[in-house]
Amino acid sequence: MLKSTLVTAGGMAVANWGALTHSQTLAAEVKRSGKRCIMLYMAGGVSQIDTFDMKPGRPTGGEFRPISTKVPGIQVCEFLPNIARHADKLGIIRSMRTKTPDHGPGGYYMHTGYHPGERFPHPEVGAMIAKYCENPESDLPSFVKIGSKSGVYGAGYLGPQYEPFVTDDDGKLPGFANPSVSPEIMGRRGELLNFMEKRFAEQCSGDPFAAHRSAELRTIRLMRARQTFDVSAEWEKAKDRYGDSKFGRGCFTALKLVEAGVSFVEVAHGNYDTHNDNFPWNKANFAVMDPAWGSLMDDLTQRGLLQDTLVVWTSEFGRTPAINVRAGRDHYGRAWTVVLAGGGIKGGQHYGSTDRDGFEVAENPVGEADLLATIYKAMGVNHRAKHFLGSRPIWVTPEGSTPIKELVG
Amino acid sequence: MADSFANVSILYALPWNTDVVSAVAFIGNDKVAAANRRGDILIWNLPATGDKTPDPARRLIGHTGPVNRLLVSADGKTLISASNDRTVKFWDALKSDGNPGTIFMNDGYKFVGPTEGVAKLPVLPSPITAKVVEQKPIREFTGHKEWIWGLALSRDGKTLVSGDDAKQVILSDAQTGAEQRRWKVKHWVRSLDISPDGKLVVTAEQFPFIRDGDTDVGLHGWDAQTGEMKFDATKQFEASKVLNVGPTSFRFSDNGKHLAVCMGHIDRDGPAGKVFLLNPTTGEKVRELTPSHLRGATDLAFHPDGEHLFTCGRDRAIKIWRLSDGTQVHEITLSQDKNKKSGPFTPTLHAISISPDGKLLAVADSSGQVVVCTLEDRKK
Repeated sequence: MLKSTLVTAGGMAVANWGALTHSQTLAAEVKRSGKRCIMLYMAGGVSQIDTFDMKPGRPTGGEFRPISTKVPGIQVCEFLPNIARHADKLGIIRSMRTKTPDHGPGGYYMHTGYHPGERFPHPEVGAMIAKYCENPESDLPSFVKIGSKSGVYGAGYLGPQYEPFVTDDDGKLPGFANPSVSPEIMGRRGELLNFMEKRFAEQCSGDPFAAHRSAELRTIRLMRARQTFDVSAEWEKAKDRYGDSKFGRGCFTALKLVEAGVSFVEVAHGNYDTHNDNFPWNKANFAVMDPAWGSLMDDLTQRGLLQDTLVVWTSEFGRTPAINVRAGRDHYGRAWTVVLAGGGIKGGQHYGSTDRDGFEVAENPVGEADLLATIYKAMGVNHRAKHFLGSRPIWVTPEGSTPIKELVG
Repeated sequence: MADSFANVSILYALPWNTDVVSAVAFIGNDKVAAANRRGDILIWNLPATGDKTPDPARRLIGHTGPVNRLLVSADGKTLISASNDRTVKFWDALKSDGNPGTIFMNDGYKFVGPTEGVAKLPVLPSPITAKVVEQKPIREFTGHKEWIWGLALSRDGKTLVSGDDAKQVILSDAQTGAEQRRWKVKHWVRSLDISPDGKLVVTAEQFPFIRDGDTDVGLHGWDAQTGEMKFDATKQFEASKVLNVGPTSFRFSDNGKHLAVCMGHIDRDGPAGKVFLLNPTTGEKVRELTPSHLRGATDLAFHPDGEHLFTCGRDRAIKIWRLSDGTQVHEITLSQDKNKKSGPFTPTLHAISISPDGKLLAVADSSGQVVVCTLEDRKK
């Protein structure tokens, strides 16, 4: 049974929850691009100087050495050899300048493009992409978070149907997702539930019930599609390449999900909050992150998925160029790095730069909203599309935000 | 000596604010060597009296990466260093001549605590320089392909044992550098030692984060002749998870009667800096030494009297333990700048060394100094 059938059987209108109304023009603007996005989120704030904006020979350079890649002028950390192989696909934004060095607000900013203090919640990027890029006929969730380390900021004004579906850190479904009865019985139970709730829904159309009903419907759909999350058999062959870690398995699950049509998958890794002993910590982090990300790029390329799959490597902020007295690096938003690949991104290039010690952006500063505008542009989503909360207009990204045309055209 | 430990006092605070001071070792009873994460090694000649803080006399040039360990041969003639530059270097510990040079002693950072607000390199204070003699290594061992944290020398000075992040333990001839044997352990080698009789190598291993929060840790004993595992001391700690913060130092006492390990590779809230005495033959836990260091214990050294163990930690404490019953007999906490934050942002004491005569103690302090203490009661 397809999602649309279920929705009809349940007597529910799953769009336009509560006070949110979308303009007619907006509805007409909606385009299903067929594109997908995988966001690799380095929780805790990842160091730019120890990864993609190295400063060898400078006091801020730290303990890692750069290695060359096949792209002249692009060097990466010696402990990222698998990413280095894909340098020709990477759009390395070295000039992120973001507004907060605190974990919570930084995470919100980097997921929404908006200040966390605003009165109404904005949807995070995964929810927005799910809205515009999802396959409405699919039983799979359109927005999956593998692990919650990156924070769950929600669908905001888009409504409960775009809330993220959160799995364990390794992409496995919770134990309750394994039903104890046959699909036929599950189906009959669903029909009974739909029958019982139909009249109630006609009489009670409040937000809480809508959210509750949406969760039910999504759960029933998920039970049918749950096998997509079960990568056990293939993982045995893949884990040597991805690394036998939760993040490795999470990246492999993300591959399988986008292959099955999921619009947005976020995989979190960390802890990158290296206030002390930054170098051995990050070396260990990279030993997990690098083979997983590199193998994900390999498989997306080999399966012909990379052109339509945007891969985003990001965090809530970067880390200080200066190394503190505990051999650590602290929070830093004034000049740091995000990497984009695939999804039509023009790879093999740096965008922006920092000064010689990495303290300031030297050219082409990029804010949170500019980054999200770039992501939306690559995904075929109008970053200035207007939504309404009641009569109040809300834009996908704030006024003044601009996609980086050098990366997405 | 034990009674006088209650009157330990600082003899010298040798300033070296260039980078985090990471290792320290006495050369005889009147010289101390220290290394930092920039790859420099300095040697100070210590005057008999503590009236004037000495400048460094020698600078050992050769490492291109952080120095993790320093040790001195039992005859006091050779200083040995292990580095992230994948080399073990040997230095003439006693040689006094070399090329004249000048070194800046204060061109590092004074950052403590979160530094989000730092938007540029701070203006450095007026340079403090020291005239030194610059020396090069007499030889090096290049058998490692990864960062080297494990370093030990057999008590007869003939066999070097080193271990790295490629999980390799290598035994080599300390004089010729010829590799004798190697074997692979389970995780990164953080510390190792060879028993006084030369028969057993112990390794403290760790790899943080692969299980997203947990830590993969190993404490193993190996037959030095074959590389065969003789014991796995890890399992007895699995239930308590006290090893998850990672071992930092694992050493035999010179008399072979004791084997000690301390925890604290990862900074963690609370009394995470556990110190254990293990059976030196079987690896079985003999006792835990309490109270633990806060946030982590970073290094340990046995006193030459054979009766006491010294440990240092992330809490800036130096603890002195009586080996016979595990009692903490004294604790010294190094003060810090009142403007510096305490807790997780406290500068760490990274390494500890005791002079061969047992009268001096030195610690590598990441706040930018090497602290030398006298263990004698100076009032007597």
